[in-house]
Amino acid sequence: MGKLKELYQYRTMISSLIQRDLRGRYKGSVLGFAWTFLNPLLQLIVYTIVFSIIMRAGIKDYYLFLFVALIPWLFFSNSLTGGAGCILMQKDMVKKIYFPREVLPISVVTCQFVNMLLSFIVVFAVLLVSGKGLNPIAMLYLVPVMIVEYLLALGIAFVTSAVTVYLRDLEHMLVIVAMAWQFLTPVMYSIDMAPEKIRFALYLNPMASVITAYRDILYYKKAPQLNTLMVATALGVGFLVVGWFLFGRMERHFAEEL
Amino acid sequence: MQQENAIEVNHISKCFKVYSDKGHELKDHIVSGKRKNYTKREVLKDVSFSVKKGEAIGLVGHNGCGKSTTLKLLTKIMYPDSGTIEMRGRVSSLIELGAGFHPDMSGRENIYINASIFGLTKKEIDRRLDDIIAFSELEGFIDNPVRTYSSGMYMRLAFSVAINVDADILLIDEILAVGDAVFQAKCFNRLREIKAAGTTVVIVSHSLQQIEQFCERSLWIQDGRIQAEGQPREVHSRYLDFMGKRRQKIGSSTDASDKTGKDRWGNGNARITDIRLLGESGAPQSVFKTGESLRIQMDYEVIRPVEDAVFGIGIFRTDGLRCYGTNTRLERFERFDLRKGGCLELDLHEVNLLPGEYSIDLTIECDVGIPVDYYTKALRIEMYSDIQDVGVSRIKHTWTFDRHCETDGGNETL
Repeated sequence: MGKLKELYQYRTMISSLIQRDLRGRYKGSVLGFAWTFLNPLLQLIVYTIVFSIIMRAGIKDYYLFLFVALIPWLFFSNSLTGGAGCILMQKDMVKKIYFPREVLPISVVTCQFVNMLLSFIVVFAVLLVSGKGLNPIAMLYLVPVMIVEYLLALGIAFVTSAVTVYLRDLEHMLVIVAMAWQFLTPVMYSIDMAPEKIRFALYLNPMASVITAYRDILYYKKAPQLNTLMVATALGVGFLVVGWFLFGRMERHFAEEL
Repeated sequence: MQQENAIEVNHISKCFKVYSDKGHELKDHIVSGKRKNYTKREVLKDVSFSVKKGEAIGLVGHNGCGKSTTLKLLTKIMYPDSGTIEMRGRVSSLIELGAGFHPDMSGRENIYINASIFGLTKKEIDRRLDDIIAFSELEGFIDNPVRTYSSGMYMRLAFSVAINVDADILLIDEILAVGDAVFQAKCFNRLREIKAAGTTVVIVSHSLQQIEQFCERSLWIQDGRIQAEGQPREVHSRYLDFMGKRRQKIGSSTDASDKTGKDRWGNGNARITDIRLLGESGAPQSVFKTGESLRIQMDYEVIRPVEDAVFGIGIFRTDGLRCYGTNTRLERFERFDLRKGGCLELDLHEVNLLPGEYSIDLTIECDVGIPVDYYTKALRIEMYSDIQDVGVSRIKHTWTFDRHCETDGGNETL
């Protein structure tokens, strides 16, 4: 509890690190902050060209089908790979200054989260412009789904960032893990395409239910399946508690290991 | 924890694992077991001390003695292996300046980032912003990106932020060397104000003078233990004495000079064969405290008789300045010849050379200055002092206040 209070005291640090990242990222480029929106938009254009002209998937509006899942997935995978190195990257600070170390993974994941929210402006715009539209009732589920995903990403970032300090290989291993994880998550396909026998196994992956929920809400314009989402929520909270605990154990020796 | 204390350190110990080759890679963990290849180094051994509220203490000691580790433990960057540290109040540290600065962002934006890392909230920073900018004297540049700053400006900005974080306990590591002399004086005055306002201060510094000016108490840490503690001036002179003797040992063990050639010339009719440098106690010594006496003994042999011989000495500072030089002729010795070898002793009384390294030339000449054995840099000595007066040599002096208003204790003689 003391830790939470302390984190609250350092809230400005979290927000200013996020701001520094978001604004620092495109500093010096001509278009600047506009890249935050341009990036997902350009990606969408590429997918549209590939999947509606070159490789026709049997799914209607496949580019939308993919896009509404890809944006949330990118948040998760960026948190996974970017979160791992976050303590290492700030090692000068960690070695010299006291602050609750949790600040670093929290700000990296939150920064990615904010980035996703900004991308969602593009997602909404595309859904409206393409004539797909939005279902206000289904949209009510969007916020809880996002929170579940945030908890999952944060819990994992706690673990990976702390372990990377002791085991530097993890950062590189995670790039492969993220790729494999993406294929095991129904980002490019729908989970119904998987053989029924292994579908259950796929749902063990909490991201499967999260991504399916996003797609239900935005693409199919319907309320997501609550049972799998409950499992994902439980896993999200579990990840966070375990991550928090492990991080707290390992952070005591950060300054010596770096 | 006692009421009047701000910091209580109880029996802390800290070990570091020193890896022969620190491996962070997976293969190091699994394959080679490299990480087991370490020696334990005890940096702090059962250290206890406490600091009263509003007190300022200095930590002194040579490099690697554990003083910076102590500060890191106080900052909670590291944790002790055993023992406890209790602190009361908000702790701030002037250890790393300019943490989190982003070169592309303006000075103002960086103030927010940097101050937030010290745990200030936006509101608290808003309140201090004007003070910080005014203190840094960067009003005209505050909205320019930090990358356009000179390194002096950069440090000024960083220091201004750090010093305006109002803390109950302030930990400082060797950073009062920021900016030009004027700005340094300003920083120092600001620290005095902070202290006067009741902040507890712990300073680690190699500048004993700063600690003497600022702190009521000094802790001398030696090999992970507290060697002495008390009034800074007393502790420091003991520390300097100790360091002088210690350097002595190092100095004598590395001093294996048997030089001939370019540092030594002459016709060779007589030759200095051995030189001994002795301290007041009569034992060999090469590091002296300013004001100590030293004795030089030299053995010489005579190959061919030297007529009208002159012995001389020259003392040079490392930058080449001749601090003193004399010879037997200048001092109007009666003419003498060297016919057989012998030993000459020269006593230098109260050598008041200020701290630094000096070399001594010893010479034998004859007639009108024909070198017989001109031995340059024959000896090397090192001076140290617990007073930081400046110049070449100390002049014995007395300060006296107006005698009418002071009856006793009004003057101090060095």
